Amino acid sequence: MAIVTLQNVTYKYPLTEAPVLQNVNLQINEGEFVAVIGPNGAGKSTLCYTLAGFVPHFFKGELTGTVEVAGVETHQSSLNEWVLNVGLAFQNPFNQISGAKYTVFEEIAFGLENIGVPREEMKPRVEKALALTGISDLADRSPYSLSGGQQQRVALTSILVMEPKVLVLDEPTSQMDPIGTREVFGVIRTMAERGMTVVLAEHKVEWIAAFADRVVALKDGQVLLDGKPGEVLTSPLLEEAGFGISRYTSTARKARELGLWKKDQLPITLEEAVEGFSLTSSPSPKERGE
Amino acid sequence: MHERLSFYVHRDSPLHRLNPLTKLTMVFAFILLSFGSPWYWTPHILIVLVILPLSFVGRVQREYLLTAARLIFPAAGFLFLMQSLFQPIGQTIWFRWWVLEVTHEAVAFAFVNAARIIVMVSSFTLLLLTTHPSELMSDLTRRGLPSQFAYVIISTLQIIPQMQAKAQTIIAAQRSRGLDTQSSFVKRVGALVPLVGPLVFGSLVEVEERAIAIEARGFTSSHAKTSLCEIPDSRFDQILRGALIVSVILAFVSRLWLS
Repeated sequence: MAIVTLQNVTYKYPLTEAPVLQNVNLQINEGEFVAVIGPNGAGKSTLCYTLAGFVPHFFKGELTGTVEVAGVETHQSSLNEWVLNVGLAFQNPFNQISGAKYTVFEEIAFGLENIGVPREEMKPRVEKALALTGISDLADRSPYSLSGGQQQRVALTSILVMEPKVLVLDEPTSQMDPIGTREVFGVIRTMAERGMTVVLAEHKVEWIAAFADRVVALKDGQVLLDGKPGEVLTSPLLEEAGFGISRYTSTARKARELGLWKKDQLPITLEEAVEGFSLTSSPSPKERGE
Repeated sequence: MHERLSFYVHRDSPLHRLNPLTKLTMVFAFILLSFGSPWYWTPHILIVLVILPLSFVGRVQREYLLTAARLIFPAAGFLFLMQSLFQPIGQTIWFRWWVLEVTHEAVAFAFVNAARIIVMVSSFTLLLLTTHPSELMSDLTRRGLPSQFAYVIISTLQIIPQMQAKAQTIIAAQRSRGLDTQSSFVKRVGALVPLVGPLVFGSLVEVEERAIAIEARGFTSSHAKTSLCEIPDSRFDQILRGALIVSVILAFVSRLWLS
């Protein structure tokens, strides 16, 4: 069942000429983990803001078409009601720290205080969320004393704790090391399996390939491709349009030219790449001694 | 780098355990008493017999006395000196020097004023030393202070040190590109120009993002807010607040009655 529906969505920020989103149509089912990829300026962040209700409630500008989440349209709702359904975490972790709290534990509880969760319920919820993202040991630290990657986990946790139906994440791992990234992708995957709908704008295609259910490729504010990771990430259209593609895909594409890749399907993960390489192929033109 | 801008000293004492509102009431009661009481020696008695012992009760005597020695007493002493020398009141001349006349009345006036200043600054110092800012704000929010107001106070306390750190980073970055920040005064003032742009405009962008972030966490939600930490408000707190208010009223009434 679709929980998020975008119909003919076109949006123009105030003071800009060209629309940032153009005629976007998107249906996302409950519990789906959708990754949004695209070059800089393709409209990924704007799409996130639109889903989270900040377009049009915070950023004004001209929005046409309909945005519907859990059966409610943005135009009919107010931002403070909308955020109960859709949680948003974005890139810069430093600016997501409220500044009103002195420890990570209190910081995570900030959202729960705002929406009036009773105190007895608050503590177990915060503890559970901290354990989920693996930052229980940071609970008593000041949020400002943490590293960028740790702050990003705090930002993610402080949204997760509010248990939104739809989780919108705009590059939530940009300051993390590979281990941190894998852990956070694991957490997001778990949330999706528990029924939370996840929309993730991200550049790290190799992680998307391993974790997401579906990939939407945005280009100049329009949906270029929409489908399973295996189809979208190996499409020849991506490279032409200036997207970053997985090194497994690009290596296999080279290998195909050399006759080292026999399968029709190009790989998007390490496992698929290892499996598909056939090293016993005809030698390349160079090796034939020309 | 300072983690936060706060005087709070984390210790366990009866003064720390008092409800923040009680302490705030105490501060204002002391100030009003020192200005409103009809008895000349009230502020002096408050300093010696109430504020000083309270700093020991709160186990912050070291911090308090250091602040007093470095800041409060020098400032009050300067005020005393200025008012004694330049206050053109009184007939009982003690001595005359050049164009200055020091009279008994001026000295008495300066002495009580200096004591009032000490009471005012000292009681606020004690409040800040023994009360965690977020505890004070969440208690006041619970009693009806708008949460936006509390947010502005608390986040400013935390964000100012962050901005200082950012200014340091910008200066370091500019210096690594050859900006001179250590020579003559004129050059140093000039060096501020390339600092202000990134700092101010960067901060404006940050404000927008922070607004989005706290909005995403339901800051303007129409639900009644709850609070994670429980702030005790005992019977003793309530009685103490009542007593403080009554003593202030008595002081003002007796002053009116005597005059």
